[in-house]
Amino acid sequence: MIFGLQLYQIIIAALSAVMIYKGMAEYIRREAGQTLLKLLVRLVVWGGMGAVVVFPSITNIFARVIGIEGNVNAAILTGFLLIFLIIFKMFSAIEKLEQNISMLARNDALKNVPRENNSNKQ
Amino acid sequence: METKQPKVYLVIPAFNEGEIIVDVIDDIKKHGFSNIIVVDDGSKDDTYEKANNVIGVTALKHKLNRGYGATVKTGVEAAKMLDADIVVTFDGDGQHDPGDIAEMISPIVNSDCDVVLGTRLLDTAGMPFYKIIANQVGNFFTWLLFGIWVTDSQSGFRAFSRNAIEKIKTKSERYEYSSEIIREIKHKKLKFKEAPIKVRYTQYSMGKAQKQTFTNGLKTLFKMVWNLIS
Repeated sequence: MIFGLQLYQIIIAALSAVMIYKGMAEYIRREAGQTLLKLLVRLVVWGGMGAVVVFPSITNIFARVIGIEGNVNAAILTGFLLIFLIIFKMFSAIEKLEQNISMLARNDALKNVPRENNSNKQ
Repeated sequence: METKQPKVYLVIPAFNEGEIIVDVIDDIKKHGFSNIIVVDDGSKDDTYEKANNVIGVTALKHKLNRGYGATVKTGVEAAKMLDADIVVTFDGDGQHDPGDIAEMISPIVNSDCDVVLGTRLLDTAGMPFYKIIANQVGNFFTWLLFGIWVTDSQSGFRAFSRNAIEKIKTKSERYEYSSEIIREIKHKKLKFKEAPIKVRYTQYSMGKAQKQTFTNGLKTLFKMVWNLIS
């Protein structure tokens, strides 16, 4: 135990800090695809995980706020919700990519449409 | 006074249909329809080359396989570019009978409606039982999700007026396209009719691996729900 923390708490807190640092650095550098929403999601997910690991008692406050008895239940439910949101976001992104690929394939195919029907083709 | 004949375009989505595509095209031509667009959806065989060698056919090719819905959409876009007045979608595996095309387009020519849906379920003779059940399940979910009952929501044999193809907007890439068309008919308040069609379930068409299976059916259902909530 170091500074009153177990080893797993230190590892997860360090990981959370690294992920938040990377997210903020990428956002500040305006790297491609880095949006404010993405940064906020990263802050909520990794920040929340780090905070809960270092200060487990905050889950009691959290449980009271959302009205679920038992801090573990509240944490699990919230975890499920977050995972659902992430999956939703990923599906949306994949769907958009699929549509963009189809659009490219279509535009490429339509280049071969003759101005007039090619009935004189030999 | 002589009336102008509408320009009818047949759109044939095809994936690995090299074995039969020329027969399908010839059969359509024999019935008097010469404006044919074949869209090859990234086939691994010579579907595109064979279609492209047929005189008078506009053959297009997706470099990547994008699915049934994306392929039909490409064909419809091409038909728009060629100033089609009526577009008929027709499966490339030879299961549809070109003898039904005239009946299919007749209500559109007479300005009775904008869309004619070919229905295989008004006469199910020769249709495998599991296909009847699968189609009824498709109809039920189409009605549940989109609020419109049709007797064959998954049929690929449909006719559209110019007005309909201008109004219908789809984003489905695979088989959920069929149900999306039904949704669009309702949303865009298009007048539609159902017309009985004959189906030729041959050993060839039944043996194709990419046809709707139970798993594909579940995927289609998931996509239909997903398109509603996303």
